Amino acid sequence: MSKVLQIIPEQCTGCMRCEMACSYMQTGLYQPAKSVIRVSPFERHTSYSPYTCFQCEEAWCLAACPVEAITISPAGAKVVLEDQCVGCKLCTIACPYGTIFYDTDTHKAFKCNLCGGSPACAEACPTAAIQYVEAEVQDWQGEFAAERGNVHLVGFST
Amino acid sequence: MAKKRHVIVGGGTAGLNAITTIREYDKGESEVVLVAGEWPYSRMVLPYYLGHSISESHVFTATEPRMVDLGVQFARGETVPPPASQAAGDLPQLVSQFVPRSATALDTKNNKLTLDDGQVLDYDDLLIATGSSATRPPVPGADGANIYNLWTLDDARGVLSQIKDGMDVAMIGAGFISFTILNGVLSHGVKLSIIEIMPQILPRMVDKEGATLVEDWLTQRGVNLLTNTSVQSIEDVDGRKKLVMSDGSELTVDLVIMGTGIRTNLGWLEGSGVEIDQGVLVDDHMRSNVPNVYAAGDVAQGAEIITGNREVHAIEPTAMEHGRVVGANMVGRDIAYRGSLLMNILDVIELNIASFGDWTSDSGDVSVLMVPRDNVYRKLIWDGDRITGAIIMGPSRALWATNDVGMFKGIIQSRVHLGEWKQYLHENLRDIKKPFVASHITRDMLHVKTLDHPTVPSREVVAVAGS
Repeated sequence: MSKVLQIIPEQCTGCMRCEMACSYMQTGLYQPAKSVIRVSPFERHTSYSPYTCFQCEEAWCLAACPVEAITISPAGAKVVLEDQCVGCKLCTIACPYGTIFYDTDTHKAFKCNLCGGSPACAEACPTAAIQYVEAEVQDWQGEFAAERGNVHLVGFST
Repeated sequence: MAKKRHVIVGGGTAGLNAITTIREYDKGESEVVLVAGEWPYSRMVLPYYLGHSISESHVFTATEPRMVDLGVQFARGETVPPPASQAAGDLPQLVSQFVPRSATALDTKNNKLTLDDGQVLDYDDLLIATGSSATRPPVPGADGANIYNLWTLDDARGVLSQIKDGMDVAMIGAGFISFTILNGVLSHGVKLSIIEIMPQILPRMVDKEGATLVEDWLTQRGVNLLTNTSVQSIEDVDGRKKLVMSDGSELTVDLVIMGTGIRTNLGWLEGSGVEIDQGVLVDDHMRSNVPNVYAAGDVAQGAEIITGNREVHAIEPTAMEHGRVVGANMVGRDIAYRGSLLMNILDVIELNIASFGDWTSDSGDVSVLMVPRDNVYRKLIWDGDRITGAIIMGPSRALWATNDVGMFKGIIQSRVHLGEWKQYLHENLRDIKKPFVASHITRDMLHVKTLDHPTVPSREVVAVAGS
């Protein structure tokens, strides 16, 4: 079984070290806007979870690309071939998880490439909310988010 | 036993995807014959060639070695005579070197395809993937010099041979096609006017409110927009083009680009027995009324994902999915297509515009966020607690205007019931992530496959040589 990025939202403290590590690994700069793992708040900033590409088997992004600029790396990640990508953005709407993005500086798509097999986010996470393990990919955040739900529903009016 | 012969008519996105999918499954067991008028390329990326951000070679979707690897053959050209030992009408008529050919008639009773040079090809099954062509309005002078469509590679080459810094350029038609080439045209340093007969630009991609935002964006960037205007004639005056409008006003330019619509390439199917409406009617296996004749892409009229109504979706993602599904079915798999989701994305001088599903609906149950100062516009169409359509607009450089946009595709495609999240979204249109994640869409979508196995990068697909 190949390794996947497992997210354990309950462990996330919202520190954003993953976004720093990812963007640094990808671009050489600490800039969360260029990170492909994104931390979001739930329950009005009392809980957080990272969220990134599930490296799904259907590979919607790969199939959608009109010039085959997305392929599968040895680590099993769907990766953008920058020389081939023309920046048409079709992949950004083909991905039903919303985890492939467009960079307005490079004019190319970018996404999680598992850092070639040593994902920086998993290494940087201080609470093991992100782990690179042998597992089946799953909906890591669904239960967590559903449980922390829509705070409007717990008897408070705004 | 003779190999099964698949004849693929059309080398666009649908045709190429069908070929690579056939090979993904059968590894060269069958004969694949491609009938195409041009060496396969991606129409979708022509705008980037026009804008000089890619070279011409980048638009082609297969190299010659790749076609050999895939075991694709072509109908013999007139300059390649059959061997003397063969009687006329004997096979093989196939060669491995590309010859541009087009199909002119289809005899579905006898499984014969007639080509433009009179050749007749037998087939075991056939894929109609002849796509669509650009049309021109019946305006006097519309066929003159320095007037181009931008549909084919030849069109792009033509514009590139003429377009120069400082020129005045007019684009007739402010639809999706014109807007895909807008950035490319502007990159040449021209002064651009866009003439549209309807009251708004992008009449089939965004609603009135969204259109005003785009219009303001363009006007602020020096583009001259003439909506509610139709061109009556185009005259040559001193080597330039004078456009005369219906209201009598005139516009003189150096180059005219037509983006006034497309027409499905169905004419050649007359008398074939294949049932057509706006396109070739197909079932969820991409099969026409004739069991061994399939259709895919712009030429096909297959089910839309939400309603199941059969529509022509002349967009790249549909052509790709059709091509993959039909390729699998042509090799004997049993793959039902879930239906096509209408979706588009545009970058208009760094304004990101995405639309999904049934965004044209005026059902009245909508959520709207409009912030002209930020150039942000979002609209969701609801059917109960499900989203059936969306328009998402914002500056490309504004991270949260564009991030997560794919989630709308996931929400619409999965047809998830958002329940209590509907009210939340209605009040917080920028925060799609919470409702998306909390609705377990990922849990459901991770099981969804278009074919019956994980997607294979088509660059890794080869036929087994010599089989």
